[in-house]
Amino acid sequence: MAKFFVPHLNRRKFLRSAGLLAAGLASVPGKVFSGEKVTLPFAHGERDLVKYPQKRPLIRLTTRPPQLETPFSVFNEGVITPNDAFFVRYHLAGIPTEIDPDTYQVKIGGSVNTPLTLSLADLKKFEPTEVTAVLQCSGNSRGFVTPRVGGGQLANGAMGNAKWKGVRLKDILDKAGLKATAKQVTFNGLDKPILEATPDFVKALDVEQARDGEVMLAYEMNGEALPMLNGFPLRLIVPGYFGTYWVKHVSDITVVDEALANFWMATAYRIPDNGTGFCEAGTVPKATTPIKRYTIRSFITSLADGDKVRTGQAIELKGIAFDGGYGITKVQISDDGGKEWRDATLGQNLGKYSFRPWTAQFTPANDGNYELKVRATNTIGQTQPVESLWNPSGYMRNTIETTHVKAV
Amino acid sequence: MKFLFLPLSLILAVTASGKPLKITLPVETAVYKAGPGAELANAQCMTCHSADYAAMQPPKPRDFWKAEVEKMKGKYGAPYSTNDFDGLIGYFANNYGTDTNVVVMPTIAPAPVANGINAKELAIKSGCFNCHQISSKLIGPAYKDVAAKYRNKSDAMAKVAHQITHGGSGQWGPIPMPPFTQFSPAEVKALGEWILSLK
Repeated sequence: MAKFFVPHLNRRKFLRSAGLLAAGLASVPGKVFSGEKVTLPFAHGERDLVKYPQKRPLIRLTTRPPQLETPFSVFNEGVITPNDAFFVRYHLAGIPTEIDPDTYQVKIGGSVNTPLTLSLADLKKFEPTEVTAVLQCSGNSRGFVTPRVGGGQLANGAMGNAKWKGVRLKDILDKAGLKATAKQVTFNGLDKPILEATPDFVKALDVEQARDGEVMLAYEMNGEALPMLNGFPLRLIVPGYFGTYWVKHVSDITVVDEALANFWMATAYRIPDNGTGFCEAGTVPKATTPIKRYTIRSFITSLADGDKVRTGQAIELKGIAFDGGYGITKVQISDDGGKEWRDATLGQNLGKYSFRPWTAQFTPANDGNYELKVRATNTIGQTQPVESLWNPSGYMRNTIETTHVKAV
Repeated sequence: MKFLFLPLSLILAVTASGKPLKITLPVETAVYKAGPGAELANAQCMTCHSADYAAMQPPKPRDFWKAEVEKMKGKYGAPYSTNDFDGLIGYFANNYGTDTNVVVMPTIAPAPVANGINAKELAIKSGCFNCHQISSKLIGPAYKDVAAKYRNKSDAMAKVAHQITHGGSGQWGPIPMPPFTQFSPAEVKALGEWILSLK
């Protein structure tokens, strides 16, 4: 019985984070954990490192509502992003700070045959399902977009990879029974606007996607209840799709016969409707469409920009790659600024929606500067652009990343 | 006994996971940079979000801030009138815009005030009524409820003054109050006395 006692769990957790902290310091010297402030590498990039409830110190973007970015060194700790390091993004300041899971309910209504009100205990009676999936903010890396655009000025830390456990949305919708007229399923959470005039944050998925068997209502994240700031006790999981759809503290699921045309679907979170999602820098696209799947990305995690390495000494580069759910097939590395590329070795495959770890050897032959680049390819042949692409909201950035190091 | 061991353990685990979860957010400290128009930003923008929303934006010209100010009213329902547009746009362009790094805006010292401050007018001008009303709870508590809670306590004035200048959260509900640092000590005193006098 002792193994369920809280003090024991706390102690284990403490030891684990202490070890990881040491590892982070070793791999990215003084970069993130050294003080109370960090400066992200773009204008107005000064940020505080602040500890929030259930979180380790994270990079604070905004105080109210809280928006917290994961320090990039965390991604070198492992392919799963720990709950206490997972980024936080809210839109509206009326966020829940106290929730009793025993009385929590989610309502399913609208164009259904049988409206349902389900407790967490009810949800846990459905067949559980699990997926390891990346959650990434639509505006991750917006601070690097050139020309700069307004919005949350993030570096690359508004992403994370977790093992989500919950119930298939399909099973819930099938139990309620969709009417033949059903077109979309809308999701509202407990977060609320301050003013009545501000549109509540409600998002929608087409019925076909909502019933694809992959979209999930998750009550566990990495084997534990979700942290409050990540959507406790229930969050929508839309594998491969940008975070805007992953509604937190889900309280109302409403089936509708017309496509939802509120601010959050019809005005915000839209990209140029030209098949690419990007347009000429500085222009206004003629037509737009809701943002959908992640673009393909890859990162070096074991070295940070500006790090020094030892001339003549072989080191193992480590990193991650992911895409919108097609599956990573290849990661390539260049140490000469992109002239020559060679294959990295792909690591453990936790599924097509997960970060895919990779490793590669790098031996700087001579003293001097090296431009390390990494690019990924997926099963449908997508890869990353050399020149950065642009859209008015700074969404979906996936340029080939460059890490400058100096061999001494 | 071995049969009992596992079920008992499971019951304990389930009980532990079913506890209500309550968090307390860090107190808000960010305020708008001092300068002409700061009182407008402090009054109008901090109802819905903290001041760091502006501070993180890239240095952009006036048109960018014009679009932001118009969006906040048009899309998010910000309570300011179109008469405030120029003041807000000018403030943000000058303090967070393209010229931020070269032009240092002078800090305006609080106007010398002593007696005769009209506290209610000051509260209206400063945006207090975006979140508070006198008799009923809005986003923050009714001023009459604040008065009733503190009036007979010896440190009432100190408590209310601290709440105004430092903000805070947790006493009245989940939405934290931002700090209002633009008031002079005399103004804080006048506001506090006025609030505590309400019945």
